[in-house]
Amino acid sequence: MASQLTLTAVNKIYKPRGKMPVHAVISFDLVVEPGEIVALLGSSGCGKTSTLRMIAGFEDVTSGTITLNGKPIHTLSPAARGVAMAFEAYSLYPPLTIGENIAFALKAQKLSAGETEKRVKEMSAMLEIGDILGKYPTSVSGGQQQRASLGRALVRKAALTLLDEPMGQLEPQLRAVLRGRIKHYLREYALTSILVTHDQTEANALADRIAVMEGGELQQYATPQELKERPANLFTGTFIGEPPMNVLPVKVEIDAKNLSFRLQGGKDLVLTYPVGELDASLRKVLAARPEVVLGVRPHGVKLAKTGLPAEVVSCQWLGDQTHVAAEIASQTVVSVSHERLTLKTAAPIALAIAARDLHIFDPASGKAIAHGGKLA
Amino acid sequence: MAQLELQCLSKSFGALKVFEGLNLETKSGEIVVIFGGSGTGKTILLRLIAGVDDPTGGDIRIGGQSMIDVAPESRNVGMAFQNFALFPHMSAAENIAAPLNARGATAEVVKIGVDRVARLLKIDHVLDHAPRELSNGQKQRTALARALIAEPNILLLDDPLRNVDAKLRFEMRLELPRLLRQSGSTVLYVTQDYKEAMALADRIAVLAGGSFVQIATPEDIYNKPATADVARLFGDPVINLAEGAPQVRGKTVTFDIAGETIPLDGAYAAYAGRPVRLGIRPEAVEIGPVKDSHMAADVQAVTPYNERTVLLLRSRGGFEFLASLPSSSANIPNFGQSTGVKFNAEGLHVFDRDSGVRLVGQG
Amino acid sequence: MDHTSSFERLLRGVLVALVLIFFLFPIFWILLMSFQTNETILRIPPSMVFAPTIENYQALITGKLETTAGNLDIAFMRNLWNSVLLSTSSVALSLLLGVPAAYAFARFKFRLGEDIAFTLLSFRFAPPLLVLLPLSLYFKDLHLTNTYIGLIWVYQLICLPLILWIVRGYFEDISPDIEHAYRIAGNSWWKTFTRIAIPLARPGIAAAGLLAFIFAWNNFIFSLVLASADKQPVTVGALAFVTASGIQYGQIAAAIVLSVTPTLLLALYAQRYLVEGLSMGAVKG
Repeated sequence: MASQLTLTAVNKIYKPRGKMPVHAVISFDLVVEPGEIVALLGSSGCGKTSTLRMIAGFEDVTSGTITLNGKPIHTLSPAARGVAMAFEAYSLYPPLTIGENIAFALKAQKLSAGETEKRVKEMSAMLEIGDILGKYPTSVSGGQQQRASLGRALVRKAALTLLDEPMGQLEPQLRAVLRGRIKHYLREYALTSILVTHDQTEANALADRIAVMEGGELQQYATPQELKERPANLFTGTFIGEPPMNVLPVKVEIDAKNLSFRLQGGKDLVLTYPVGELDASLRKVLAARPEVVLGVRPHGVKLAKTGLPAEVVSCQWLGDQTHVAAEIASQTVVSVSHERLTLKTAAPIALAIAARDLHIFDPASGKAIAHGGKLA
Repeated sequence: MAQLELQCLSKSFGALKVFEGLNLETKSGEIVVIFGGSGTGKTILLRLIAGVDDPTGGDIRIGGQSMIDVAPESRNVGMAFQNFALFPHMSAAENIAAPLNARGATAEVVKIGVDRVARLLKIDHVLDHAPRELSNGQKQRTALARALIAEPNILLLDDPLRNVDAKLRFEMRLELPRLLRQSGSTVLYVTQDYKEAMALADRIAVLAGGSFVQIATPEDIYNKPATADVARLFGDPVINLAEGAPQVRGKTVTFDIAGETIPLDGAYAAYAGRPVRLGIRPEAVEIGPVKDSHMAADVQAVTPYNERTVLLLRSRGGFEFLASLPSSSANIPNFGQSTGVKFNAEGLHVFDRDSGVRLVGQG
Repeated sequence: MDHTSSFERLLRGVLVALVLIFFLFPIFWILLMSFQTNETILRIPPSMVFAPTIENYQALITGKLETTAGNLDIAFMRNLWNSVLLSTSSVALSLLLGVPAAYAFARFKFRLGEDIAFTLLSFRFAPPLLVLLPLSLYFKDLHLTNTYIGLIWVYQLICLPLILWIVRGYFEDISPDIEHAYRIAGNSWWKTFTRIAIPLARPGIAAAGLLAFIFAWNNFIFSLVLASADKQPVTVGALAFVTASGIQYGQIAAAIVLSVTPTLLLALYAQRYLVEGLSMGAVKG
């Protein structure tokens, strides 16, 4: 059942009457390998939902092609594409019970009644909706409806599974377990899937690769690991990760022994690195740039005995990690530690950032210059 | 600044009982978070304290004085609403100035007060805007400024970060404690987000089923949850629960999970044979070689979760549970692999199966 | 980009024009008639070309009509004044009573609240004839017949239900939290009512007031039965033009033009409030 999906130069332009045309998706290229789980991630209006709807067939492609296993599908009707979809608004059939809704998806496969029942039972156990199979959609909660909608799409084991904001309404206590089970299910049956979400936590948890979109354009298409460690630009860097990446505009100072980054707004706020910790090629590039933007993930900001002087704004322990917010020259920097720390507000502390945790971005374009001491 | 006391406070709407017999005593200047799911009555509780609704029974005392029959305008309380509740026909500045104007302050005093608090909340550049011209974040800060400006005895914040986008919510979560401490008011903060509760509170009062199930510091709520429900509400991923009964063999106490035996602290010997649920915090699950472990398990899924990695595991006997490891840990197993797991005793809790009450080790 | 063809647009224009002519023609005709003498009006065939005269308006304003049968006194201006007085006073009184009542219905859930509200609305459903006979008897006993006070009191049957139902909807639309916030800020409930509730409900109050004015102005039956000539509004006064010497069409036309003008101007001015107010009140109530 594992299928490959390819989008080539897909464009979508909306032409609302009496208004300016909207170029919602701009020359979008994407290849989803067989059995891969891909997330389209971005804030509202970035083009991710339009893209999904074009893949499903609910929107026409303005230009470009979409092929499934080499066969073009962008000219086919939704029903002919062999695609299963879970909608953001659930779209369950009101006159059918939850169980019948899920079973309906299997009708086209012409299974025996016993086999259908077995599959529905398995799916409902996985999503913990076994006790509401006999109820009607309007009489169950939003979270349950969402799970039913997911179940209806997943039970088909279709060539391509599309999930639109699939877990936003789920009860917080169920989220971690269901994420695990859904990922297990998709892996076990090698189902090629695309999920659309604005929640980077969800994308990171489920996807093999994430396509970050903004303003209709693809910003970066990479594994969660790569997005975290080597974001292509400042937008991607700050979009992924919670707490978000710390951003510090700095001035570059180079001498024979060291390379320093001077923070704005204070006299002695300098991060200094011995020349050996940064690649020669990077040093050459930085020599030509007096100002850059530093990005450091919260986990890369460590509390140390010596380092940048800062003042504690808040120290919040959340059970399995501590978030420390510190103020340096009227900027707030967040540090995350897996240990339990107790610091008092306004206490003076020192922050240390290793060269390997540094991300350097161009201040004008936002593009990444270097990650961890090496050129991007 | 004054102390707030709730004495046996009850509220019902006809036959519908919202809560009954609530007791709470706060210290002056304390930040108490009222935590609970939707529909548990948190907003109604704030309305009773503010005085815009009357309790069915019990008393509310501010600074030692009973507030029964005291009108809202005389209680010296500041409140920020979840939906902001800004006056649409007034500018942001006039909104913020309302409490001072009501107290008859001169125009000069009002201007100084509004400027001070607006600068503190970083909305001084939008003071002359009408509410509909403000972003959600600015509206929320305007509502907060209005609540703070007259330096009230009691500050009531009804889930102020609920309708604000994720990025801003996170920023405010870092700034709020300092802001609230500076104000010096006794604060009652309502939220459904346990991380917010733990981040902001001096103490958390967990409201469920019509009463305060536990009132304690964040540390105690997390490490010594009063019931299994409280343990489930605080923690992400949620705490794992396994049913069974502690067994005593000689000097050691053990617990059987789907055919595998794991050791328990000897202090639980008193509960031998009693039906319980064992709670295992995901961050207390340690992975390692099968030889040296409490049980073997197969990795069903690997889901990265911010700075941690969450594993969905299944033991040979069919016990499904979650483990949460720092992402920087070495040797995180992959999908389909087997691994050994060990449960750190610090993250284990025993709850009575029927009542859900946490059982404390004896001796 | 508009995709309608020019034919469609032409057709649309023609249809709209036809509808407009259908509705506005009578008014236009009456306007014409008011500038014609009786002979011109009754001429067959009727013609659009004529020598305009203002003698109809003159007759109304001066109060004297010259007919073939002799001179008549016309009390039209007095009727016009009565209409103005009765309508504005009734609306003013109903606003004074109705707005606080609407607030009470919107905010306070008291026993029988819905029943009382519905009873008050039902006054609009009942035909005035139902209550006229008993009323005229009571009026005689209370010596209220042919008094302004009596008429203004009775006109509340027309105005109050409207105010109540439309304004209540507007008050209900204001989030209670806004009022709570104002009270918590330190203001009494009266200040909250006057500084928050009323300003925010102003469109509804204006709309309700305008509607009440129009209905009060148009009322015929109450003043016909409960008042005599000197207190009657224009609606009743128009009957005077049916005289022994024949129907004075010209003066009737002029009288109609004069009596329609105030409400027409008011409605045009506050058009958008009316539509907004009607739909809001209707949906909520």
